[in-house]
Amino acid sequence: MKQPSVKEKKPSGIFGLLRPYKGLIALLVLFALLGNSLNLWLPKIIGHGIDDFSHGIFAYEPLIIKFGLAALLIFVFTYFQNIIQTYASEKVAKSLREQLAEKISRQSYAWMEQSNPSRLLTNLTADVDSIKLFVSQAIVSLVSSFFIIIGASILLLTIDWKLALVVIAAIPIMGITFFLVLKKVRTLFLKSREVMDRLNKVINESILGAALINVVNSQQREYEKFLDANGKALEFGLSILRLFAGLIPVIVFTANMTGLAILALGGRFVIDGSMTIGDFAAFNSYLTLLIFPVLVIGFMSNVIAQATASYQRISGVLNSPDMLETGTLVKKLDGSISCEHVSLSYGEKPVLKDISFSVKAGSKIAIIGPTAAGKTQLLYLLMRLTKPNEGAIKIDGEDIAAYESESFHQQVGFVFQDSVVFNMSVRENIAFSDVVTDASLEKAITTAEVKEFTDQLPEKLSTIVSERGTSLSGGQKQRLMLARALALNPKILLLDDFTARVDTRTERKILANVHQNYPDLTLVSVTQKIGAVTHYDQIILLMQGEMIAAGTHEELMEKSPDYVQIFNSQQSTSNYELQS
Amino acid sequence: MNYNLNKPVTGKGVSNYAAFKGLLQLISHEKSKLAVALLATIGNSGLNLLGPLLTAYVIDTYVMHKQYHGVLVYSAVLLVVYLAAFGINYLQTKLMGTVGQRTLYTLRNAVFHKLQQLPVAFFNQNKAGDLISRVNSDTDKLNQFFSQSLMQFVGSIISMTGAGIFLLTLNIKLGALALLPALLSLIFTRLLSPWVKKKNAANLKTVGGLSAEIQESLSNFKVVVAFGRRDYFMQRFNEANQKNYTSATAMGIANNVFLPFYSLMSSVAQLLILVYGVHLISTGSFTIGLLVSYIAYANYFYSPLRQLAALWANFQTAMAGWERISEILVLENNMGTIDDHTRQEAAPLLEMKQVHFGYDEGREILHNINLSLEKGKTYALVGPTGGGKTTTASLIARLYDPVKGRVLLDGKDIRSFDPAERTRRIGFILQDPILFTGTVRENILYGNEEYENYTNDQLEEVIRTANLEKLLGLFEKGLETQVQSAGEGVSLGQKQLIAFMRAVLRKPDLLILDEATANIDTVTEQLLSEILDNLPATTTRVIIAHRLNTIENADEIFFVNDGAVTNAGSFHQVVDQLMHGNRH
Repeated sequence: MKQPSVKEKKPSGIFGLLRPYKGLIALLVLFALLGNSLNLWLPKIIGHGIDDFSHGIFAYEPLIIKFGLAALLIFVFTYFQNIIQTYASEKVAKSLREQLAEKISRQSYAWMEQSNPSRLLTNLTADVDSIKLFVSQAIVSLVSSFFIIIGASILLLTIDWKLALVVIAAIPIMGITFFLVLKKVRTLFLKSREVMDRLNKVINESILGAALINVVNSQQREYEKFLDANGKALEFGLSILRLFAGLIPVIVFTANMTGLAILALGGRFVIDGSMTIGDFAAFNSYLTLLIFPVLVIGFMSNVIAQATASYQRISGVLNSPDMLETGTLVKKLDGSISCEHVSLSYGEKPVLKDISFSVKAGSKIAIIGPTAAGKTQLLYLLMRLTKPNEGAIKIDGEDIAAYESESFHQQVGFVFQDSVVFNMSVRENIAFSDVVTDASLEKAITTAEVKEFTDQLPEKLSTIVSERGTSLSGGQKQRLMLARALALNPKILLLDDFTARVDTRTERKILANVHQNYPDLTLVSVTQKIGAVTHYDQIILLMQGEMIAAGTHEELMEKSPDYVQIFNSQQSTSNYELQS
Repeated sequence: MNYNLNKPVTGKGVSNYAAFKGLLQLISHEKSKLAVALLATIGNSGLNLLGPLLTAYVIDTYVMHKQYHGVLVYSAVLLVVYLAAFGINYLQTKLMGTVGQRTLYTLRNAVFHKLQQLPVAFFNQNKAGDLISRVNSDTDKLNQFFSQSLMQFVGSIISMTGAGIFLLTLNIKLGALALLPALLSLIFTRLLSPWVKKKNAANLKTVGGLSAEIQESLSNFKVVVAFGRRDYFMQRFNEANQKNYTSATAMGIANNVFLPFYSLMSSVAQLLILVYGVHLISTGSFTIGLLVSYIAYANYFYSPLRQLAALWANFQTAMAGWERISEILVLENNMGTIDDHTRQEAAPLLEMKQVHFGYDEGREILHNINLSLEKGKTYALVGPTGGGKTTTASLIARLYDPVKGRVLLDGKDIRSFDPAERTRRIGFILQDPILFTGTVRENILYGNEEYENYTNDQLEEVIRTANLEKLLGLFEKGLETQVQSAGEGVSLGQKQLIAFMRAVLRKPDLLILDEATANIDTVTEQLLSEILDNLPATTTRVIIAHRLNTIENADEIFFVNDGAVTNAGSFHQVVDQLMHGNRH
């Protein structure tokens, strides 16, 4: 009774997925049914042949023609069916991946942080694969299996209903055994998925942390972690196996018992004369035909369960609300910024508290403060990577949320603290936007002093840099990042600790270049070095998410003891820098 | 050495046979279990084949002669046979499955163990996404084969062999005729297998590529957003997705070529048996009963053969996966330990002698480096970005071996030190700090066996003695503060603090800091330099930094530029050089 109500809900899930491929699936089912009905016919042809022979009316020719034709058609149908099911499943997988990627690409950075990239990777690979398996195997198998079971049962009933009932009685026995075992297996599968997740985590961490593992020689420890997880995976594998080890012999034994019943009862009927020897042979053949589909349905129910679970996970991503892209304002920015009572928190943890300041277009401000003061988070807010919980950020007097995303991001450049290098040429890495022209690219490359080191690369700017940028040094990567931001010809440039990895001489040269080549730029620079920013229009001191002080260098030296302390901590070196 | 898996040196695929042999070697210790499982499989198949034989006998002797009593007697015999088969079947399934599961376990261990043995260069030359795909999804391809197909595979072959023997012994001519289509299938398989395997290998490669692409785009998502390049992500992804689709479809079509052909051959065999069988009966050398059971035997032969056709594709996928895995397994770490019994009194702690180095062959990065580090002194490596500072430090810590020249620790070749000994003595704080998801405690004790079993109180005491308590104080929940390996929950500066504490607690003789404090504010940095000053007097420090204050107290400063290391003299001279660019 409960079954239908559950089924009504589920089709909208995994079966609903197939709606766009109706034609293809229909064709698939058609070929499968055609192939299978011919398959049912084959034993009958043989049975008739034997009967004809025992009645002395056997003729070679019609038998060979009938049989040969059927076999050939089966070949053609199954071949088409296989090709279609390959196309259908790959098409479903491809489009599912596209939908996912499309959805992901429209999401905000905050969403990505929340949904955890490694889980999305699983969604796009393993989960899609299990749905692919469902399309390529489950659909055809289920349709054909049910068809064969019903067809064979009907044929058996028409031959001899009493004997047929004995055979058909075996089906529920097998079905129940399957149901019971698979129910247990499914919970084990779920648990073993968790173990596999842990196993993958150890593998991922050991690959991404390879350098550290080498430095502290913790290979053995990682191996032990792995052994532990792998051992658990083995345990689950063995428990699942134990269940299957019980299942398969039971099914085979039941089938054998049915065969025995046919022999004992059927033998009696043949002796009675109520059954022909040919029908008797056909019964035996149909029995083997009948057992296999039952097995298939059992195994496919498992495939469906797994695909349903995968589809639920994928739907979770697909149905997550779209990033609220409300902004429509497209205009050329002047570059004035104002922060009005901005607060930000991650869950319970406050990151920024009531921050207010304003920056005139074309001016330069610096944000300094200790580790974990919220400096980077403030830049992320300005970049619209995250949204404030309270308060508003305005650029040219308009809330930044009002701007159309693309045109906004094309006018605001961001140099991230950690360098992100894509696996493509240096030039493509720098010209990482549509708006980059040859002229703006050239200007950015000159400003960031990139030529100096790219000239030494084997293929200059066309050299492909590797994924984690290992062929470049930390400072070189940072300069590449700056060039990437400058190539946009931005009105606002956000620098996150840009100078940390660049030597002082290069740093001075680059900043002077920026000043000269981009005179109207509004510059917001998170930095540790006061010496480089004393001449800035404004310096903001952040500590533990609070704005402690703001003003010019001179003002802060007078009114902020915290600032003075930071200044003093850099004093000795600043002296050298000032002297030079 | 070339560790790039996508540019293999040989460039030639391995044959099925060789690949399978390699796999068998891996499970050689399971031999005895495998033998028992094989016996059980033979027994099971034999018993199952006995069924039709007995049935045929019953039909011929009793049913045709209307002796129902005989039918009943033999039914009882059959029942016993089937019961025995039931037991043996259980044994077979369990044993074969166990072997499969244990093999997978061994295989995963072997791959992971190898990963742990390979040097840093291996990880730099390969994409993380591709490696993850090899270890996870390619082993899973083998898993599917082992846990689902292997048993059927062996079982099918044995049933087929048994059925084949029955077919031939019952009537040699009819048997030969019945097996003729099977022979055709075999030839067909042999001809097509290389092609099918190639398609499978091509597909696994695109799967690796897709996974690498996703990994790269997802982990760099903030840049994609900030530069308004969502289309870039889509474009790169679509390209990889399309490639995967094309190769997967080609693989699917290749994999599906066997089954329809095998089915056709199976039908042809039935027809041949029927036609020739009828002919034999009419000449009196065969009986109807035998013909019925003969057709059943043909089924017993051909339905496992059909299963084999389906499994064969599975087998090809598994072998292609195995090949990708063995590409990792055959890699040898070229950074082994060598013997060096030279004893040198009063040798400096570390010395580099005429060291040359390059990451790729032919492109030298460091030229003829000579430097010597004394016990207890502080050294600084300065110079413009890309000059070779990190590379020099990596050679000191033996992340790489020099192409030419030697690195000596205590006057002995650094290659002669056991890794545990070497890493205990040389600490290295990497430029990009690495965190594992977990607590601060787990992270600062990572790879540190000494304090592993300390309670938090004991550990805090140790931290106090090492002057690290103020740094720990910067984490709101102290040792129990949760941190993530990725994401913005922890700032870069905080990650660097953790890496710093991790290295100091190991109490190395030589501590290398590679811009290890670059993103830490200057006030906290003063704290760090106090901690460094208070390290035991015997500790040698090597500091790479751009900020001058961090190298102010160095005893000696080396200038690293254009792959050459020169002694820069005093701090003032260095400042002068840095400020005015008088580097040459």
